[in-house]
Amino acid sequence: MPAPAPADSSPEPRGPLDVAALIPIVRRIVAARVPDRATADDLVQETLARVLAAVERIEPGMVEPYAIVTARNVVATMWRDQDRQRRHQHRVVDLRPPQLPDEDVLAQEDRAAMAEALTRLSERERSTLLAHEVSGQDTHSLAAELGSTAGAVAAQLNRTRARLRVEYLLAADRVEPSTPRCRPVLLALSSGDRRRQREVDAARHLLECELCARLSEPLMGRGRSRDDEVRVAVRADADVVAARQAARELAARLGFPPTDLTEIATAVSEVVRNIVRFADAGEVLVELLDSPRRGIRITARDSGPGIPDVQEALRDGYSTYRGLGLGLPGARRLMDEFAVASEPGRGTTVTMTKWREDR
Amino acid sequence: MIAGPRLFSILRQGTCLIASIHTALDDSQLVRFQHDLIATIGRDRARGVVIDVAALDVLDSFATCTLRDIGNMARLRGAATVIVGIQPEVAIAMVRLGLSTGVVETALDLEEGLALLDGRTAGSPDGRR
Repeated sequence: MPAPAPADSSPEPRGPLDVAALIPIVRRIVAARVPDRATADDLVQETLARVLAAVERIEPGMVEPYAIVTARNVVATMWRDQDRQRRHQHRVVDLRPPQLPDEDVLAQEDRAAMAEALTRLSERERSTLLAHEVSGQDTHSLAAELGSTAGAVAAQLNRTRARLRVEYLLAADRVEPSTPRCRPVLLALSSGDRRRQREVDAARHLLECELCARLSEPLMGRGRSRDDEVRVAVRADADVVAARQAARELAARLGFPPTDLTEIATAVSEVVRNIVRFADAGEVLVELLDSPRRGIRITARDSGPGIPDVQEALRDGYSTYRGLGLGLPGARRLMDEFAVASEPGRGTTVTMTKWREDR
Repeated sequence: MIAGPRLFSILRQGTCLIASIHTALDDSQLVRFQHDLIATIGRDRARGVVIDVAALDVLDSFATCTLRDIGNMARLRGAATVIVGIQPEVAIAMVRLGLSTGVVETALDLEEGLALLDGRTAGSPDGRR
């Protein structure tokens, strides 16, 4: 690079270098190339630092040209760096989300809850589970050690996992179940075992027990998702229509004739209306049945006041509100099977089934 | 009033009102339908009302009860009521449930319903036309 001419314009005596005198020209050169003030200042500083470092090697009178060339080089270097950075930027993109400040604490709590949950398992359950999940031992060799079969070990592991999920949720929440029913219900939900859920009447317990309703939320998706059942939460008038439409749609899939579809929808309408009328909240479960025959079962549950005299309520004309008194007895006539279970103060469950005529 | 498509419409046809329900109504919507219809009967000085329930796939005890009430109220307001368009499956379910429309008359479709009302309002001693 040709050195600019004005070398002789500043005849400088050898000796202490007057750096301050260089500042205006360096600043002008840098400012002409770099618009950003802060960056420009940085580059001016760097240029001066380099000139100072090299001042011993510079011939007298050549300090200013040296500073000018240095300034240009510093700017060029910056541009080159920026360009390289731009070209390689895609390589340094960090796709991991930034660590949240509370992440550590949450992870610690998570670990503590898991450790606590593990201590609540039995020794045998714990060691089998850890051998399988952590050490990666397969079920065959575990079965050989335990004197059992691989299938049985796998089933036991499944039960252990279900228990661990429940204990983990309880430990993470730092609560103890309020009733002796809570744990079996949560366990049945966690294992996704529908038969067991029915045995312990899980759906009713969830309506009654606030704690379980909250805790069971992450467990609800467990178990094979089935498209042969529909649940409709019932709180308001509109849910009556939603429930009967859901029942009709499901029944239509099974090939019920139109007359039966209408009868099913009508029966659902009657039964679900009772939930809205007499209980604050309830739930309707519509299931398709395969055995002993194909059919549809509707279970309407509420946690309302209950029916004091079920036999009376099933009689035509019995009505406690401005109605025809045909709700329950009418629904019973429309369905093939019909059962009412009611406990005063605890709620009512109506179960009704219609079988498909095989022609 | 909630936004969205209208759930029912009440149209005037001569001295008659044609009230059509367009979709399944829940109980409170049925009650609103009843109020609107009775109010319209007075406002339009209607002599007859045709209620078209062809779009309904379910007529349960509450819906039937509401329709009967409408018929009785309309009669007290000087209008005759005909329910038209009850689907065959709905009719079967209603009978098995033990429901009927009581004293409120029914007709197969809108045409029959209007014909029935025509005979009724024309034959009545205070018929205006």
